[in-house]
Amino acid sequence: MSVFKSFTLSLLLSAIALPAIAQDYFISNAKLVTNSGDGIINNADIIIRDGKVAQIGTGLVAPADAEFIKADGKWVTPGLIAPFSQLGLVDVGAEDATNDISSKDSETSISELASDSFNPKAVSIANTRRVGVTHTVISPRAAGESIFGGSGLIANLSGEFDSIEKEQAFIYVQLGGRGTSNSGGSRASSFRQLRAALDDAGAYPSRFKGPNDGDALSRQDAAALVKALRGQMPLIIASDRASELLNIVQLKSDYRNLDIMVLGAAEGWKVAADLAKAKIKVMVDPHENLPASFDQVEARLDNVVLLDQAGVDYVITNAGALGVSKPMTLTQHAGNAVGNGLDWNKAFSAITETPAKWFGLPSTEVSTGKPATLVVWDGDPLNVTSAPTMMMIDGKNQSLKSRQTALRDRYNPANQDTRPHKYR
Amino acid sequence: MKNLRFTLLVAASITLLGACGDNPDTETKTDDDKATAFASTYAPMPSETTLIKNARIIDGTGQEYENANLLLVDGKINAIGADASGDAAVTIDAEGRYVTPGIIDIHSHLGNYPTPSVRAHGDGNEVTSPITSEVWAEHGVWPQDPGFDEALQGGVTTLHILPGSANLFGGRGVTLRNVPSRSVQGMKFPDAPYTMKMACGENPKRVYGQKGGPGSRMGNVAGYRKNWIKAQGYQKKREKGGEDFQRDLQLETLADVLEGKILVQMHCYRADEMVQILDIAKEFDYKVTTFHHAVEAYKIGDILKENDTCAAMWADWYGFKMESYDGILENVPFVHAAGACAMIHSDDENGIQRLNQEVAKTWANGNRAGLNISKAEAWKWLSTHPAKALGILDETGTLEVGKRADIVLWSDDPFTTYARPEKVFIDGALYFDKATGLKPKSDFRLGYGEME
Repeated sequence: MSVFKSFTLSLLLSAIALPAIAQDYFISNAKLVTNSGDGIINNADIIIRDGKVAQIGTGLVAPADAEFIKADGKWVTPGLIAPFSQLGLVDVGAEDATNDISSKDSETSISELASDSFNPKAVSIANTRRVGVTHTVISPRAAGESIFGGSGLIANLSGEFDSIEKEQAFIYVQLGGRGTSNSGGSRASSFRQLRAALDDAGAYPSRFKGPNDGDALSRQDAAALVKALRGQMPLIIASDRASELLNIVQLKSDYRNLDIMVLGAAEGWKVAADLAKAKIKVMVDPHENLPASFDQVEARLDNVVLLDQAGVDYVITNAGALGVSKPMTLTQHAGNAVGNGLDWNKAFSAITETPAKWFGLPSTEVSTGKPATLVVWDGDPLNVTSAPTMMMIDGKNQSLKSRQTALRDRYNPANQDTRPHKYR
Repeated sequence: MKNLRFTLLVAASITLLGACGDNPDTETKTDDDKATAFASTYAPMPSETTLIKNARIIDGTGQEYENANLLLVDGKINAIGADASGDAAVTIDAEGRYVTPGIIDIHSHLGNYPTPSVRAHGDGNEVTSPITSEVWAEHGVWPQDPGFDEALQGGVTTLHILPGSANLFGGRGVTLRNVPSRSVQGMKFPDAPYTMKMACGENPKRVYGQKGGPGSRMGNVAGYRKNWIKAQGYQKKREKGGEDFQRDLQLETLADVLEGKILVQMHCYRADEMVQILDIAKEFDYKVTTFHHAVEAYKIGDILKENDTCAAMWADWYGFKMESYDGILENVPFVHAAGACAMIHSDDENGIQRLNQEVAKTWANGNRAGLNISKAEAWKWLSTHPAKALGILDETGTLEVGKRADIVLWSDDPFTTYARPEKVFIDGALYFDKATGLKPKSDFRLGYGEME
């Protein structure tokens, strides 16, 4: 792994040594989602210079050296940020040798960095970029006897070796059914482990004469949890059952600095006021409406609408779907939140600006001086029939080709080539 | 050919019984009657003569009416078209909204892998032997699965429940009306043919590799062939009959496949494997009705067309196992464009709630890749082709006069994320009505939430 790291570093250094000359762009006549107080601007022209938004207006004149992109009234939006995924940690889910999502036989947990596992060249990165996602939160999963999955990261989807934006962005905690089974078999055991771990971090380093002196954590893992205890790094806690969510509210009052983001919260609507009051954030999947387990017997389609009404701070994920490792369907999940009653702008913010704020990424607002991370769409981005026609991350044009489009082009029935497929 | 053979067989068995001197009452105890164990007791709720007017109708045959009426009488479609009218007890003004056939999901595990997904609910796969053609999916279906009710609210009026894919021969599938019932018999689509689930590839060899095999794709193919040979032998014995003849449930299902009475629904991802399976079907003279999942079907659309074999696919699932690595977003439209019978399927209790969106996604991606498929044509992936592949197209799947009135009235264009079913009719009876809150509620849902 260290070889890989130093390789990354050397690439990074060479990039600094030889700055690329940024192409400037002029996007004409866009339906621009600004994610700012300006809302949606129709007939917007956008000038992008040196990777940044230089000017927004109507009837602007294209700079001579800028590449001209006709939006023709189509949507232009900030890039999407998938608030939860396992992108780049796995090639083929069922093939253990390709799957770095969790490490069930390891003796450590929190101190393991998913960024060491992250592979920006996994084909799912380009496949997901193609559907409009420019950034993603990438999380490991808890396994073995631990409720902790380790530290997650945030990356952009350029597919470049330097695409990690935050190496240690949060710590993942598994409660609910899986958390209880990891920790010994009951919610009593999972909460004991969680509180003991937080106490170990609080007592670090004094408690640790030896590497295994903690009640729940090794010295390394306790050291890694300190930032979260101090609120300098969020804890993503997977949990769905209303009563367990109230336990988390209590946890927050016992450890006041924790920045808690609950993943799932299928029954969140039942305790929405408590979550709002405790300022516990929620990562919700608007497709979850079945009693998939006894942790989510009261899941309902308008969960996100009710959370919104109660003033809970939330992002939208596709975490309940089979495809969580690849946030391909993020826009569909956000779109269905709208179909079930959520305001479009709120749903869109929940997959762009809100996760940016939560994880300390640059604002996704499209305004003068901001980095040009934009997607040009052929329709409403939250409609399942829409797709990007162009994408830029920090002003740099991104390919919308991927292994999937290569397969598509080879086998397209519209393809007139009659040679054997391997020559096409 | 197959039907003829079947007819001859039944005639021969009746003659044989007659010769034994049984009286006419006991004479009805033929093979056919044995097959009616677990017979359907389905009866639709009462319906009223209903006229839906001013609708934008996609009828499932490839046609779209911009502004037409639909008359439902005695649970059947009585008239469709701009001038369709008649005395109706109920008139619904669709005000230009879409009306479509009810959605049919050919691959569901509702009821046999119900929610909550506790261990005790794992009734969808008899994972005890690679050959379990003797088991029937319906015997594992729990009619109180809350997923049925949610699927109804997604516009699903008929669905096919299959055993899982751990086995080479997984057992019989069953076609259900998506109606509330205390028993699975009360949901069974009357006279719909049985199907048999088979599986290719990774699953059988993974599950049985350390349990006596098959442990490779070679072993899979050997396993199919060995058992088809057994089934041929059984077929001959059964034809001959006699006192010594004893039914074998495992081989009975296989023999019924060879006689064209049971349709093969086969889980298969890779293109090359599907082509091998089609050769096995030729060797033993049976038909593969549908490949399920068929993630690489787009590579062999022409071959599927030649063999008149359908493919039931997802819109965008890929990469979760090696044989799904080559999944693309245009699979369904590419297979369709090659002239083969393409359709969507869910295999998922969430996906089944929004199959229209799955079709909308893949339809849009196909057209983006240069195809030119209309919405009316793409609708066939949701009802027409699944009905064909389940042998029930004569009764449902399209809005044609004389067919069952299985209908969805949508709030918006169903090829968008925002559309929702507003009314769902099964056999002309209203089973879901958003406006009045009419919807079924599983026993499981009782006692949770605020009590009234």
